[in-house]
Amino acid sequence: MEIIGFIVSLLVGVYIVVVVEGWANTGTLRLAAPILGAIALLGQESPLPRKADRWLFEVAPLLLLVASVLVLAVIPLAPGLIVTDLATGALFINAALAYVMVALVMSGWGPNGVYAMVGGWRFLAQLVAYSMLIVMPLAAVAMRAQSLFTSVIVSSQASLWNALAQPLGFVLFVLAAMEVSFLPPFDLPDAPGELAGGVAGEYTGVRLAVFRLGRLVLVLALASAITTFYLGGSQGPLLPGPIWTALKIVAVICLMLAGGRFLPRLREETLMEWSWKLGVPLALVNIFWVGVTLLLVKG
Amino acid sequence: MTPLFQYAILAGLIAGTVGLVLTLRLIARSLGRVKAEKAKDVPFAGGANSPDPAWVRYHFHYYGFALLFLAFDMEMAFMYPWAVVYQELGLTALLDMGVFLLILFLGLLYAWSQGALKRQ
Repeated sequence: MEIIGFIVSLLVGVYIVVVVEGWANTGTLRLAAPILGAIALLGQESPLPRKADRWLFEVAPLLLLVASVLVLAVIPLAPGLIVTDLATGALFINAALAYVMVALVMSGWGPNGVYAMVGGWRFLAQLVAYSMLIVMPLAAVAMRAQSLFTSVIVSSQASLWNALAQPLGFVLFVLAAMEVSFLPPFDLPDAPGELAGGVAGEYTGVRLAVFRLGRLVLVLALASAITTFYLGGSQGPLLPGPIWTALKIVAVICLMLAGGRFLPRLREETLMEWSWKLGVPLALVNIFWVGVTLLLVKG
Repeated sequence: MTPLFQYAILAGLIAGTVGLVLTLRLIARSLGRVKAEKAKDVPFAGGANSPDPAWVRYHFHYYGFALLFLAFDMEMAFMYPWAVVYQELGLTALLDMGVFLLILFLGLLYAWSQGALKRQ
C-alpha cells in the first residue's frame, strides 16, 4: 500500500518538477508538456556513439535514477507514511547522493566524446566542492534530533524549524543541493551553451528520457530532503500532514529551479574556492553554533 | 519492520526501477530502430572531430582540494555517531570534537597559506 502511494506521489512530483522547470525556462505554463515531451523522446532515434564504452554509457542514466529513487525512499511524507524508516536515514541519503557523481562521470566517460568527458571531470570537481556542505549541515541536524531516523528529525522540529534554528546550515544545504542536482548557476557538467549538453549531450531518445527522468527525480529528492531536514516536514496547522509536505516540497522546487536562473554560471575553480574558503568554515561555525545552543537550551 | 526487511524493500525498489527502464527501452524499440546513416554516430565536438579516443590524460588542477576533501570526508565518518549522542554527553562532547575539528581547521588554514586552495 505504501509502495503504491510512493509511486503515485513520485509520478505527481516528477510531473510538477517538469512543469515548474518549463515555466522557469520559457515563462509559459504548459501543463501537457511533460507527457508530450516523454512521448516525443520515446519516439526519437537513439543511436549509440561509435567506439563508446557501452556499459558505462547505458548504465549511467539508470544509476542516476536509482540513486535518486533511493533518496526518496527514506523521506517521510507524514508520520508513518514512509517506504523505509531506516535507522541510518540521514547517512543513507549521503550514501545515495554519492552515486550521483559516479553516474555523471560514467556518462561523461561513456560516449568517448570530448565535451562529455570535460563535463564528467567537472562534476568530479563539483563533488569536492559541495560534498562537505551536504554532510556538515546534516550532522548539525542530527545533533539536534539525537537520531539519524528521518522521522525523528522531523519530529525534533516541533518547537522550531531547523531553517530558523540553524539558518546558516539551511542556506549552505540549499546551495549544496542545487550543486548536486547541477541546476543553474551550478550547471557545470551539462552547461548548455558552452559544452553543448556536456554529460547529457550524446544521449538521445529513450536514453535521454531516462537521463532526464533521473535528473528530475534527483531535484524532487533534494527538495524533499530540504523539506524534511529544515522545513519541519509534515508539520503545519489546519491541513493534514501529507498536504503540508507536498506544499513545502513544491515551494522548495520553485526556489531551486527559479533561484539561480539569472546568475552567471560559476567556473569550476571559483566554485571550489568559494566552497572551501567560505563554505567549509561557515559549516564548521554552524556545527559549533548548534552545539552551543543545544547545551544552553535543551531540545 | 526489521532492518533486513527494510533492505529487501530497497532492493525491490532498485529492481523496480531497472524494470521500468527496461520497459521504456522495449517500448522505444517497438516504435522503431535506429536508421543507419553516415557519420550519425560521431560524438559532437563543435564541428571538428574529437581526438580518438577522448579518454586522454587529464590534468586535475584541483588536487589540493581533493586531498583536503579526503581528510574532511574521513572526519565526517566520525561526526555522525558523535552527533547522535551529543546531547547525552553534553559539554565533554563539544570539547572533544571541538579540539578535533580545530586541528582539522588549522590544517585547512595551513593548506590555504601554502596556496593549495587555488587552481594549480
